[in-house]
Amino acid sequence: MLSLSAIRQRYGSRLVLSLDQFEASAGEHWLVLGASGSGKTTLLNLAAGLLRATEGSVRAAGEDLGRLGEAALDRWRGRHVGIVPQKLHLVASLTVAQNLALAPWLAGLPPGAARAAKLLAALGLADKAGARPAQLSHGQAQRLALARAVMNRPALLLADEPTSNLDDAACAAALDLLQAQARDCGATLLVATHDRRARERFEKVLQL
Amino acid sequence: MNLAAMSLAYLRARPLGASLNVVLLALGVATITVLLLASRQLEQRMHGDARGIDLVVGAKGSPMQLVLSAVFHIDVPPGNIPVPEATKLAAHRSVKQAIPMALGDSYQGFRIVGTTHDYPAHYGAKLGAGRLWQGPMEAVLGAEVARASRLAPGARIVGAHGLGGGAGAEDLHDDAPYDVVGVLAPTGTVIDRLVLTAVESVWEVHGTGGEPEEYQELTALLLRYASPLAAATLPRQVNANPQLQAGSPAYESARLFRMVGTGVEVLQGFGVVLMLAAGLSVFIALTNALEERRRDLAVMRMLGAGRGKLFGLLVLEGVLLAALGVALGLALGHAATAATGVLLEARQQGPLSGLLWLAEEWWIVGGALLVGLAAALAPGWRAYRTDLAGVLAEG
Ligand SMILES: Nc1ncnc2c1ncn2[C@@H]1O[C@H](COP(=O)(O)OP(=O)(O)OP(=O)(O)O)[C@@H](O)[C@H]1O
Ligand SMILES: [Mg+2]
Repeated sequence: MLSLSAIRQRYGSRLVLSLDQFEASAGEHWLVLGASGSGKTTLLNLAAGLLRATEGSVRAAGEDLGRLGEAALDRWRGRHVGIVPQKLHLVASLTVAQNLALAPWLAGLPPGAARAAKLLAALGLADKAGARPAQLSHGQAQRLALARAVMNRPALLLADEPTSNLDDAACAAALDLLQAQARDCGATLLVATHDRRARERFEKVLQL
Repeated sequence: MNLAAMSLAYLRARPLGASLNVVLLALGVATITVLLLASRQLEQRMHGDARGIDLVVGAKGSPMQLVLSAVFHIDVPPGNIPVPEATKLAAHRSVKQAIPMALGDSYQGFRIVGTTHDYPAHYGAKLGAGRLWQGPMEAVLGAEVARASRLAPGARIVGAHGLGGGAGAEDLHDDAPYDVVGVLAPTGTVIDRLVLTAVESVWEVHGTGGEPEEYQELTALLLRYASPLAAATLPRQVNANPQLQAGSPAYESARLFRMVGTGVEVLQGFGVVLMLAAGLSVFIALTNALEERRRDLAVMRMLGAGRGKLFGLLVLEGVLLAALGVALGLALGHAATAATGVLLEARQQGPLSGLLWLAEEWWIVGGALLVGLAAALAPGWRAYRTDLAGVLAEG
C-alpha cells in the first residue's frame, strides 16, 4: 500500500531523512514518532507526493510517485490521499460547506452532497455549514480539516501533529475521530507526532 | 462548487481592491468610447452635410472658413461676393448647378439662409407642414428649429442681426418680420438647424432690397461640377478672379479632420494609456492577491487541483474584473456622450447621440478582456511553480 525504500532526503547538502525501508499495508494505522526536526513532516510529504524524493523511491496507492508528472501527481493525490496538515490550511474566503465541497471538486469527482452532510454531522459541524473558518474554534477547524481529508474516501490518510496544543481529553478525542474515519474509509493511516500520549493507541510505530 | 463561485468568493473577500480596479479600467474604456462616438458622429455629420457639394465660392479669405461657414454653418463667412460675378460663374460650362447663399441674420441662434429651392432639394428635404417660400419675407423652418421654437406655419418671426451664438442683446430686425409658411421634415443634416428663405428677403431686411440686382451681394455659391474634369480647372479660374475664392468641402473637411484628428488621437491615446494602466493595476492586484493566496493555491493543489482549475480560477477572476470594468466603462462612455449631446443641442449644435453602437466598440471589449486575461496569466504561471511542501509548511 505504502512503501518507501532507500530514501535519502536532502535539502541542499543536508540530509534530513534517511530511511532504508518502510512498508505500511492497507488499513494499518501507523504512528510516526520523533523529535522536532527528525523528518516526520518530510516523510508525510514524500508519501503524499508533495515533495519529490531526492534519492530512493516512494510507492503509494498503486503508483510509483517518481514516475508521475506534476499534473498526474496532483490528480493522483486528489483521488487517493487525504491530508490533515499541521496548520490545517482551510480556505478563509469560503464557508465550511464550501471548504468541504472543494475536495471532490478539485479532485474532479462528483460533488457527494450526501457524504458531506453525513461527515459534518458525524464531526459535530452540522450547524456550522455556513460559517467561515475564522468563526470556528480550534477543535472545530481541526474536525473540518479532517472532514475535508476523508471526503473523497482516500486510501491513504496522513495527519501531521493532530494533537499539538490539546489537553488529554481532546487529544484522545481527536485521535479517536481520526482512527474512526480511517477505518470507515479502509484507509492506511499515518499520524506524525512527537506527542508520546498517542503511543498507546497505535500498534504500529515508526520511530525516526 | 465551481470556478465562478470560487472567483466570486475571492473577489467578495477583497471588495475595495476589486472595485478600484474595475473603476480604473472603466475610466479608460469610457474615455475611449466617448472620443470614438463623438469623432465618428461628427465625421458622419460633416460627410452628410458636404455630400454632393463640389466647390464653395465666396469672398477672398481662408478657404476653410468659407467652407465652414457656407456648408457646415459653424463659422462666419469671410465676406460677400457681387451678384454679377456669381451669375457669371453659375453660367460657366463647367458648372452643373449653383446654389446661392445669403447669410447675415439668425433667429434664436439658428441661421437664416437666403437661397433657392435647390438648397432643400439638394439635401432631399421634404416638407413636414406647409409649403416652400414663394416670395420675399416668407420663411421655412428646419425640423430642429421648429422643434426648439415650437413654431408652425402661420407664425411670424423676427430675425436678429448676426449669425447667432453671440451673447447679449441682439439687434432685432423687428421692422421686417418673416411669415413662417412651412416646416421641413427632419433630414439629419445641417438644414435641420436653418431657417430658409428667398435671397431677396435677406436683401430686403438689410435695406438694399430696392436696388437693382447688379448692386446686390451674395455670401457664397455652392457648386456642383458638370464633369469631374472641372475639379482640375475651375478652382484655379475662380481664384484668379480678384473678388472670388474657391474652397473644396472634401479637401477642407479632410484638412480639418487631420488637425482635429491629431487631438482626437492624442486623447484616444490617453484613453489607451488609462486602459493599460488599469490593466497593469489589475495585474498588480492579481499578483498581490496571489501572494496573499499562495497558500490557498497550494492548498488547492494539495487537494488535487489540476493546472486547468488553477489557471481557470485566476483567468476567470481577471476576465470577470475586466468584464465588469468594460461594461461600466461603456455605460459611462455612452452616458457621457448623450449628456454632451444634450448640452450641444442647447447651443444649437448638431445632434450627438449616446444611443448607438459602433463596430469598433467590440475592439474595446476585446482589448479590455485581453488585458484582464494577460493580467491573470503570469500569476497563474507562478502559482503552478510554487514549492508545495514549502508553502504548506508556512503559516
Ligand atoms: N524547506 C526546507 N528547507 C530546508 N530545510 C528544511 C525544509 N523543510 C524542512 N527542513 C529541514 O528538514 C528537517 C526535517 O524537517 P521536518 O519538518 O520534516 O521535521 P519534523 O520532524 O516534522 O519536525 P517538527 O516536529 O518540528 O514538525 C529539519 O531539520 C528542517 O530544518
Ligand atoms: Mg513537522
